[in-house]
Order: sequence, then C-alpha cells, then structure tokens
Amino acid sequence: MAKSKNPSLGRRGFLKNAAAGAAGAAALATSTPLVEAQTRSSDGRGAASTAGAPAPTEKQLDREAGNIRPPVAVRTITRPGSDLMVQTIRDLGIEYAAANPGSSFEGLQESFINYGNPPNVMPEWITALHEESAVTMAHGYAKAEGKPMLAVLHGTIGIQHAAMSIYQAYYDRVPVLMIAGNDPDFIPAHTAHDMAGMVRSYTKWDAEPKTVDEALVAIQRAYNEAVTPPTAPTLVVLSSEIQKENVPNLRIPAYTPPQFPTIDATLAREIAKALVEAQNPRIAVGRLRTPEGVKRAVELAELLGACTSTTATVGPMSFPQRHPLCGPGADTAYDYTLGLETGGAQASITGPGLAKIARSRDTTNIDFGGILRASNFGPAGGPEKSAPPVEADAEASLPLLIEEVKRQLTAEQKARIQERSAKHARANHEAHVAAVEQAVQRAKAGWNGSPISTARVYAELWPLIMHEDWCFASPSGFSGSHNNQLWDHNRPYSYLGGQGAGGMGYGAPASVGAALAAKARNRIVVNIQTDGDLNYAPGVLWTAAHHKLPMLTVMHNNRAWHQEYMFVEYMAGVRGRGTDRADIGNTLRNPYIDYAKMAESYGMAGEGPITDPTKLSAALRRGVASAKRGEPYMVDVITQPR
Amino acid sequence: MKKNSNRLWLAAATLVALPLALNAQPATSAPAPSSPVTGNAVAGKKLYYDYGCYACHGYNGETGARPFVGRWGHLATEQMFITFLRGRANVAPIVPSTAMPNFSAESLPDKKAKDIYAYIRTFKSTAPESQDSATLNAIVEAAKQDKR
Repeated sequence: MAKSKNPSLGRRGFLKNAAAGAAGAAALATSTPLVEAQTRSSDGRGAASTAGAPAPTEKQLDREAGNIRPPVAVRTITRPGSDLMVQTIRDLGIEYAAANPGSSFEGLQESFINYGNPPNVMPEWITALHEESAVTMAHGYAKAEGKPMLAVLHGTIGIQHAAMSIYQAYYDRVPVLMIAGNDPDFIPAHTAHDMAGMVRSYTKWDAEPKTVDEALVAIQRAYNEAVTPPTAPTLVVLSSEIQKENVPNLRIPAYTPPQFPTIDATLAREIAKALVEAQNPRIAVGRLRTPEGVKRAVELAELLGACTSTTATVGPMSFPQRHPLCGPGADTAYDYTLGLETGGAQASITGPGLAKIARSRDTTNIDFGGILRASNFGPAGGPEKSAPPVEADAEASLPLLIEEVKRQLTAEQKARIQERSAKHARANHEAHVAAVEQAVQRAKAGWNGSPISTARVYAELWPLIMHEDWCFASPSGFSGSHNNQLWDHNRPYSYLGGQGAGGMGYGAPASVGAALAAKARNRIVVNIQTDGDLNYAPGVLWTAAHHKLPMLTVMHNNRAWHQEYMFVEYMAGVRGRGTDRADIGNTLRNPYIDYAKMAESYGMAGEGPITDPTKLSAALRRGVASAKRGEPYMVDVITQPR
Repeated sequence: MKKNSNRLWLAAATLVALPLALNAQPATSAPAPSSPVTGNAVAGKKLYYDYGCYACHGYNGETGARPFVGRWGHLATEQMFITFLRGRANVAPIVPSTAMPNFSAESLPDKKAKDIYAYIRTFKSTAPESQDSATLNAIVEAAKQDKR
C-alpha cells in the first residue's frame, strides 16, 4: 500500500468517517478503483471470478468515482508533538528504540523514522517481532552499557505482551525506558483508562501526560527515575492526540540530570581513614551501575592495595575477575572490609533496594516473594563483622572516597601499599592458574563423547574469543557455568548474568540488545542459547540478521527442559510410579527442531546440528569470524543435558 | 504466603546451586568395576534413555548433574546398584528436587535394572590425556600469562 506523505491527511478522521471496511480503505489509499480491485486475482493479473466478494454498494461506487469523499480533518502540521518527543529522547543519549508496530504510536514512529537530519539515528528504530523481545533487548542493552534504551509498546496488547520482560528487568534492577501509545478513539480493546496499571506492580514510575509539554517533562523524568537507584523500568503513556498535536512554538524544557544519593563527607573521611590505616583491607564489589563505577572501584583498590571480591561471574558491572588485586590475596586475615553494593562488611554502601518502591506500587497486592530484598547481592567474601549498610549509591560515593584516601595517604603508607599489592598479585595469580587447571581437569570429563559436553562448548570457544572484545550476554547456569573459571571476565560487560526472574525467552533477545550496544563498539556478543529458551520468541533472530548485529549464537541443544525433567523424575520416583514417562511435557522430541534451518529462515547464517566434537572448533571459528564481520551466526550443537 | 516464599527461595537456590555443584565435582578416575554383569546392555541402552537416566548422568555417564564414570561408588556391583535404586527417598519433598529418584521393583523390575547396569558398565572415560588437547593446553597457558 502506498504511503501518503501528505501531513494534512488526518488518519483518525479518515478512519472514523470511512463507511466502508478494509477494502474500501485500501482502495482509497491506493487510488485503485474498487471494482477493479475486486476483480483482480491474488497475483494481480485479473481474475475471471468475483465469487465470494460482495458487490460494492452504490455509496462505495459513488465514493470511488469521486462523487462522495469522506470528510477529513484538514490540519497543517508544521511541528508535531512527536518530533519534540523524539528530540527529547535523542537529547538523553538514547541510542535505540525497539518496537513491534502498533497503531497507537504511529505518530511517534513516523517521527522516529523521518524526523531529524539524518533521521532514524540516535535513536535508531529497531524492528522487534514481539514486545517481550523489545523489552528484553533493552534489558540486555542496559546490562551491557549501564544505561537504558527505549522500548515502544502498543496500548494494552503490546504492554501485556511485554509484561513478562518488564517483570524480569524490574527483578534484575535494570533501567529500561518504555513508552506506550494510547489511542482512545480507535480500537476500544487497545485503549485503557489507566494503561500503566497493567504493569505498575513491577515498574518503578509511570505517567500519562495530557499535553505535549507535560509529555516532554515526563520522558525526562522517566529516564532519571530509571537510572537512579534502585534502577528499574519506567513507563510513559502517550496518547495519539498529543503525539500528533501541532506545537510550532513549544520548546523542549531544560533537562536536569538525576541526583544520586552519596555518602556524606564525614562518613567518607571515616571510611577512608579505616581503609588507609588497615593493615590488610578488602573491598567486596557487587554490581555497580555503569562502567564508570567499575573504573572507580579499580582505582580505589589500586590506591589501597586492597584485594577484592567480585560478582563478575554473576553479572555485569563488577570488579575485573583477573585483575591482580581480585581474589583472596596473600593474607586472608582482613582487618577492614568495605562493601560496594554488597552487604556483610564493616562498612557497606548499597543503593536502595526494590523494597523502596515495591510497597507503594504493588497495587494489585501481588507477593513477589524475594522482590522486597534490600539488595540483589548477598555478602561476599565469607563471614565478617558487619554493620548495617549505608543507603547510598556506591558508584556516586566512590569519587568522594577516592579523594579522601588520596588526601590521607602518607608516603610511608604508599610504600607499604605497593609492597602489599605485589604480594596480593602474586598470590592471586597463583590461585587463578590453579583454578583454571582444576577447571580444565573437570572439562576433560566427556570431552570426546557425543552428544558434546557443555564444558567442551565453553572450552573450545574461549581460545577463539579471548583476544577479542567480547560480551557473553546469555545466562550460563543451565549450560554448566563453565565460563566462571575457564574464561576471564575482565570488562564491565563480560558476562551479563541471569534472566532476572528466571523467566524463559531471555537469552536471544538480551543478546540482541547487547549486540546493539556492541555494534558501534567493535565488540562481539556470544549467546550460548538453551533450546527451550529460544522457542519463546525466536523471531528475534530476524532482528539480529536485519540489523546486522555482531552476535554468535551457540545452541546448547539438549532437546529438553532438563531442570524440569529431573524434577518430574524425582517426583515420579517418590510416588513409586517410575520415570519412564517423565519425558512427557519436558522434552523436545518427535520431531527434533532444526535450529540451523530456523536461523536460515530468519536470514541468519548457521550450521549444524553438530554431534561430532572434533567438528566443533572449526564451526565456532566460522561463527566468530562471521560475528566480527557484523553478520550474526548460529552453530547448533547437540549437547549433553548439562 | 511465607511458606510459598520459602519454597520459591529454595527452588531458586536449587537452580543456582546445581551448576555450582556440578563445577565443584573433582574429576576422578577410579577404575571401572570388574564384578559380574548379567543384564543385556543393548536392552539397557534403550532403558537408560527411556527412564531418563541420561538427564542427570549424561548420555555417557561422564557429564551432567551426577556423573559416575570414574566415581563408581554405588555401581560397584549389580546388587549394589539395585539396592541403591530401591533405597532412595520415597517421601515427596516440599521443593522440587533433582536428587536421584526412588525406583521401586514395581516401577523398575530387577530385570530392567540389570539391563541398565549392563549398559552402564560399557561406559568408558573419553577424557583426553593432557598432552592430547591443544585447546585445553592453550587455556592453561593463557592463564599462566601474568597480566600485571
């Protein structure tokens, strides 16, 4: 169907007043006479039969002949509100907006793709095949970059498709900026009096502004709320009216960046003093907000010669796993421990938890179990004397601490720290080598077996990426977590961790989101993809192919949901009924799914299924090379269950 | 509600602990048993699959949540294996479990158990010698590089 570029053609007016259905609308928009359209066959060559097609009414014929035209609301749009909304989003540094099309945000979408010079850049419109994928892309992107991207959702139906992924991002404390359209006069089922109410229990903040200027402020605030601890998804509902409203004289309001709660100067002095005077300080590092926080944590540890613990094998934005100061160090009798986004230390600086917002927004009274925890991370580094955490953002507090430490350090202390650092580095290096040797020893089990062991998948992949800038974006728990010791997690985005709430359908879209971040940064993304998880919304493979994303997907294809298979087996056992029917509902057999063909059908190069372990390395090598070229690739590997 | 919360947490803990437990298992190389085998390994191969043994122990007994090649323990003899199958817990747990199920004589008769045992006894370690795996050697050598 030809697209009209005439801004004076009011779509709503047209739709409201068109008496005929889709056939008439199509005919009007394309100028193809209705009679002719109805007599065309599907291949357009002119059908011999009109059987089944209702005869046009006299009114329709009159309209087609130009005798009657549906009334249209003629208005000249020089500056639609949606252009300003896009500019506001652009000013916030949002790189991408992912969406599955929806009529409730047509005005906004038109601005995204046509407004600006060049249009459709910062943010770039990313085509999602499912709203759940759109939000999970934003989830993966935020974990890789430490900042949000945008997901745009259709009113009611799109929001509800996205609900699961919003919940995961919320549980994972990940900032996601969302906009939903609302078109109250178009399709009743796609409108709601309180659109955000459907997901309010697991969003941090929402608004439904009534004017364009309110909308611009709401977008700015939604961004600030999302990135301020506790970081979480936020939602702005924009009616189609204000998206399309002409606002020639409106200016974008001045933006005020978010304020992050920090420790005060007195506490900074106290903590710095304790760290400087300690003979063997330790810093336990959990998940910080951004790469800048990681950089600051490294700076503090190096200033002090303090060995650190990390959650880099659990999720993003933590201390580099193989940094010389990361590990137990030369002496594990620590006399002072500082926690950064972890508890269980003499001084713990942890941002406010989801409890801060959950109680007031859990309007449907859903008990989300552990969601009211103060922090996603438990104590690190074993039992220690601990004090109640100071509720402040660790990342924002680090510059204060660093300055205080620098101010208090004496020359004598600096010399002692240098010596301590060297001892820790030697001990940590030895511990690292020993841990890798043990991991390699374990990886030998089943090395030459078929199906291929999950350890071999990780081991064969590591030498191929160890010298690349890589991001492992999918959860590794179901495939053995062999990356924990075999790989080095040295960058803030090395491993993005789990789903958040354990929901499936996460790995591929999160990896696509991470790959969006990677695309402009000469980085590749690895997705070790469980088969059950991929089948929730595999269309995201098309998104990767369409947008040419540097992503390697390696299927952990065990043809089952083995966790649940084992659960049901145990249950059948305790009931004395045998395990020989436990496969029912838990396996993906009869027929097997061919993932290489699936990838191919979505336009992604791939190969497999691979069952011979000696053929794995070469296939992975081809996959890495393809991803480096910006061409996503899939290697389907038939694997052991775990 | 609290009970449900506890269940959720225990289930979550299981999910987290399982891969950790897997990684924590040291590779061992106890010699395979040499006790008599009376079952039919060919029949046992199908039963090993149909009864879902592979789900926890891998297709070759070397991988998964509970590998046993090289750590034969309860599998030293046919009778020990059957005794082990019959002696597993038979009370339903509150939280989902990936522990070894109970196999009563009704659900898995001795004949079938012996066939499975015969098949299990054909399993051999496929672990390479250290010098034979360039990949694994490369990983260790890379780790030895002092990155300071």
